[in-house]
Amino acid sequence: MTCFFNNVIFLYQRVFETTFIGRKSIIKERFSKKYRHPILDSKLTIKRLNAEARCMTKARRLGVHTPALYAVDPELHSLTFEFVEGSSVKEILLDMGTQGIIEERISDIATQIGDAIAKLHDGGLIHGDLTTSNMLVKSDSNQLVLIDFGLSFISTLPEDKAVDLYVLERALISMHSSCGDVMERILDAYRKSSKQWCSTLNKLAQVRQRGRKRSMVG
Amino acid sequence: MKVFDVDGTCICLGLFVDVTNSNELLSLMQAGTLEPEVALLNALLIPDVFPVLAAAHKTLLAKSRESLTTKTLHSELVYNYSGSKHISESFKRCGISESSTYILVAWFNASVDEVTAIGELIKGKEIELDELDGRADHSQIQKHYKISSLELGVSSLADAITSRIAVRDAL
Repeated sequence: MTCFFNNVIFLYQRVFETTFIGRKSIIKERFSKKYRHPILDSKLTIKRLNAEARCMTKARRLGVHTPALYAVDPELHSLTFEFVEGSSVKEILLDMGTQGIIEERISDIATQIGDAIAKLHDGGLIHGDLTTSNMLVKSDSNQLVLIDFGLSFISTLPEDKAVDLYVLERALISMHSSCGDVMERILDAYRKSSKQWCSTLNKLAQVRQRGRKRSMVG
Repeated sequence: MKVFDVDGTCICLGLFVDVTNSNELLSLMQAGTLEPEVALLNALLIPDVFPVLAAAHKTLLAKSRESLTTKTLHSELVYNYSGSKHISESFKRCGISESSTYILVAWFNASVDEVTAIGELIKGKEIELDELDGRADHSQIQKHYKISSLELGVSSLADAITSRIAVRDAL
């Protein structure tokens, strides 16, 4: 479930630009799904909307840059938040893949990514959808901003943190292998920032061998 | 006094210092006879107009759906600004008390007559809204909204308050 800041319609949500009391902002709307029973549908949609709003603000409390939340509309199932001026890490890395790599830039971005994930994980928050399109770099300050907390949840289990990192690792390998081993640098920063890095990275080694899903056989 | 447009409804904000009759205002308001009806906020907790306008947005949305939690539109604004679900506690902290001298007045759909009426009602000196930040009690805000210094590293005080106002009903 990735999102771009255009009038793009996706399977689960619609994201578009607007102004909220004079500030440029983004509205993210979840649709109701007509194939579901109406009561179940409204309960599920509200639950997920609220979870996303909670996780976004929790991330800010943990000192991770995310867009400021402006409004939650439980009836239209929409969130309104700050517009971040900048481009996604995905675009930046893809550009570098074609136009030549700037070591310094990659290193700076990777450090910020590792640092941000460590802060989330130490605070017991799992992002759930760590891909390079869900990370933006502000054009004025080069500050990394994490977006899309639609799949986030609260957990302190090393298993959940390791899967979170594993998803990012797979995304980097499949999209950005021309940029060298970015994951290595992210993990270096993670190790320095996180107090619980040891158990998470041990778990990550296990997850790598078996894949994202735990085997439920037997 | 300055007028802002929130979702097509106008809201007028005025900031007053050295207010001497807040006990009178408080008793009028509690009796429900404050004329015209306005919202009186403890301006010490307001570093910027943006969170007030975000609370106003939320209030108008609730009004349009007939789902106000408190009795009037203006009391709802104070309740929403507090970012808390505790109504009486919200009024105590974000509304005015008998000893308040620094007050932000907010009212929806004000007419010209009402603007002058308010000026006469509040015995104090009106100042510009840009003074909000300098006069706000930052440590009291951090305590009330539970804003850590960690969060202030990534966010302005006003944005931190706005996020709490927005997320309250999702908690």
